[in-house]
Amino acid sequence: MINGIFKTLHATTMRELKRMVSRPIYFIALVLVMAFCYVFFLTFFDNGQPDKMPIGVVDLDNSSLSRQFVHNVSATQLSKITMRLGSHKEAREEMQRGNIYAFVEIERDFQKKTIANKRPVIGIYTNDAYLVAGSLLSKDLMYMSALSSGAVQRQILRAKGIEESRIMGIIQPIVINTHLIGNPMANYGVYLLNVLLPGVLQLMVLMMTIFSVGVEFKERTSLLWLEQADNSIQLAIIGKLAPYTLVFSLVGMIGNILLYGYMHYPLNAAIGWMFLNTIMLVTASQSVGLLLIGITPVLRDGVTLAAFYGLLGFTFAGFTFPIEQMPPSTRIFSYLFPIRHYFNIYVDQALNGLHIAKSAYSFLALGCFNLLPIIVLSRLKNAALTKVFPIK
Amino acid sequence: MNNSKHSLSAKDKWFSIFTELHHIIRNEFKTIFKDRGVVIVFIVASLVYPMLYCGLYKNETLVDVPIAVVNASKSEKARAYVRQIDASPDVKVAAKYFNMREAKTAFEAKEVHGIVYIPEDFDKRLNFNEQANLSIYCDMSSFLYYRALMQAANYTALHVGKEVQLERLADKGITGESAEIAAEPISFQNNILFNGGMGFASFLMPVILMLIIHQTLFFGIGMLAGTAREENRFSNLISNSIHRGGALRVVLGKSICYFSMYIVFSFYILYVVPRVFNLPHIGQWMDIATMMLPFLLATIFFSMTVSVFLPNRETGMIIFLFFSLILLFLSGVSWPQSNINGFWKTLSWIFPAVHGIQAYIKINSMGADIQHINYEYINLWILTAVYFLTTIASYKWQINKSELVNS
Repeated sequence: MINGIFKTLHATTMRELKRMVSRPIYFIALVLVMAFCYVFFLTFFDNGQPDKMPIGVVDLDNSSLSRQFVHNVSATQLSKITMRLGSHKEAREEMQRGNIYAFVEIERDFQKKTIANKRPVIGIYTNDAYLVAGSLLSKDLMYMSALSSGAVQRQILRAKGIEESRIMGIIQPIVINTHLIGNPMANYGVYLLNVLLPGVLQLMVLMMTIFSVGVEFKERTSLLWLEQADNSIQLAIIGKLAPYTLVFSLVGMIGNILLYGYMHYPLNAAIGWMFLNTIMLVTASQSVGLLLIGITPVLRDGVTLAAFYGLLGFTFAGFTFPIEQMPPSTRIFSYLFPIRHYFNIYVDQALNGLHIAKSAYSFLALGCFNLLPIIVLSRLKNAALTKVFPIK
Repeated sequence: MNNSKHSLSAKDKWFSIFTELHHIIRNEFKTIFKDRGVVIVFIVASLVYPMLYCGLYKNETLVDVPIAVVNASKSEKARAYVRQIDASPDVKVAAKYFNMREAKTAFEAKEVHGIVYIPEDFDKRLNFNEQANLSIYCDMSSFLYYRALMQAANYTALHVGKEVQLERLADKGITGESAEIAAEPISFQNNILFNGGMGFASFLMPVILMLIIHQTLFFGIGMLAGTAREENRFSNLISNSIHRGGALRVVLGKSICYFSMYIVFSFYILYVVPRVFNLPHIGQWMDIATMMLPFLLATIFFSMTVSVFLPNRETGMIIFLFFSLILLFLSGVSWPQSNINGFWKTLSWIFPAVHGIQAYIKINSMGADIQHINYEYINLWILTAVYFLTTIASYKWQINKSELVNS
């Protein structure tokens, strides 16, 4: 009995393997796409934070004090002065052209007003249409300004005869120590790639599950597929999908190794848990794929559905815009995406290093996706037997 | 006599070209509307995706992110700090704990996304004219949490700190305007010129809208080409009934069909949607229309060129769907263009989406006019010309192939 099942599975898998080497699409979708993404994203975000972003300076004063200030600006890590502009209007236009992400404007008589205690104004203009560049630069430039201002303040306070030991307490009475849990350098690669790459994996698994099953209907070979598996739809599915589970899991785990090993992204748990997370993401996505192709056993519709669902996964993972801050009626949908649970496990384990028990529910949820195909088993079998669906 | 005969035949020729073209355009429209899959990609996706994403990203910024406070100081100043940070729009104090262990438990349970710790010596240090420290712990699972807490904590520290500053200066006999100046000798003003509300949707949605146009065109055209190949007897891209007109006429006919459809969709996606969903729209619509002309043409010819290599109708979507993400990053709106490394930057040049997105953001979100986007505008026309030629070449190749098979 067991032997028989094994033989049937073996035959079904062998049949699928033959298919897989018959057309380039299998190799491309199984291996090349993820390989490209690894190379692309890891080289794209290898710096972690954008530095030396181009900014402009409008120095209308051109005094020794204003030049000193410009010098301080040029020493900041995130920005690089690439343009010196004559007027506010000019600077604004360069910003509209996208040549600079921010500019600093020093008013005429800056030095005179400083010396006369008339509180001159320095304008820091940033562009949040490019939100990342804009907010990083505004933080950086404001911090630098506070330091420069502090130097002036120190002179004023000294002149007023305040003891040196008390000066800092007046310049900055409250100091904030910031601790960034799990990602101390605020590395963008850590923040994005830990979810983006598994998100692409989920998308490809969905696509290939639907393709590998749907193509049998499309090419009217589903009867042969089922016969090979002794007319058992369960065995037919397991035998067919097993090679995909294996390859995608391997590709996914290579991704884990690249992120946590090669890139040294934070990993505060045993890497085995992330491997398990990846494997369960693959099988859960396969199950969703089966559900979709079961609902509509037409390849083209299945692929369209998967595209829709797969792209929404990136939104519903909740790593860019948190789920809790979305409209209440849409929050519940996040549970329907394996990548959401993968994300939760990643946050609890790799990022925050919590006890593994904290992730039990998320693992359970990922596992539950594997029950989904049961709903469509008879429908899939029916489709395989009757072949009544349009092929186009 | 001779002359009039000549002009007649020229007129005939023009007439035949026109009917031929008309035939190709009608044919293409029919093919599109008969094909459920293509209708879904072209029309349903163009209509639904913008609304869906606008809905999901409706909340522009995070509001009242729950945080925990551990206040070991219990002084008046510390309480003022907690009160003020709670009053900020970014965060709300969801829980107060006596020790960090309890706060950590709440953090681990995701009840709070940050912790503010005020140490015991907070008040003492303030009283002794020293710098007082406090610590914040940020949830880094989303950068927006981190930004919300940083902003609120820093702003509140400045505010409470200012009071302390003035008190201390008063102790030294410095009061009034001279105290104000001593507290802040230079005034720094941070002005956000565009997307002043630092909105997430205002930043990301314009990119997504342009990507929707680019990607639905790409996948729709790919699907049509793959289907044509599957249905024709010899896997030809172009059916015999229409290729008599020659490659130029086929390419013109098809592109006129896609272009006219996407004028309507672009109006909806780029004009109606931003106004209905309150996204930035400070640009002149004439400038957007001017920029969209080469963008649509370049995208259409780009898609037609690639589509020649797609053997089946599903192939395009399976293999290239992930590329939507690559284009999102190559466009240089989230990760700044200045920091994209040389190789990827060069590669990005060949995609109409990259120039189109930049041009649209600059006009629509930053109020640039067409001169400001010269670089993108010229590139889009260059791409239009290049991809037009590659489309003609690949269609010629396909027609020759099918003629070879037929003879």
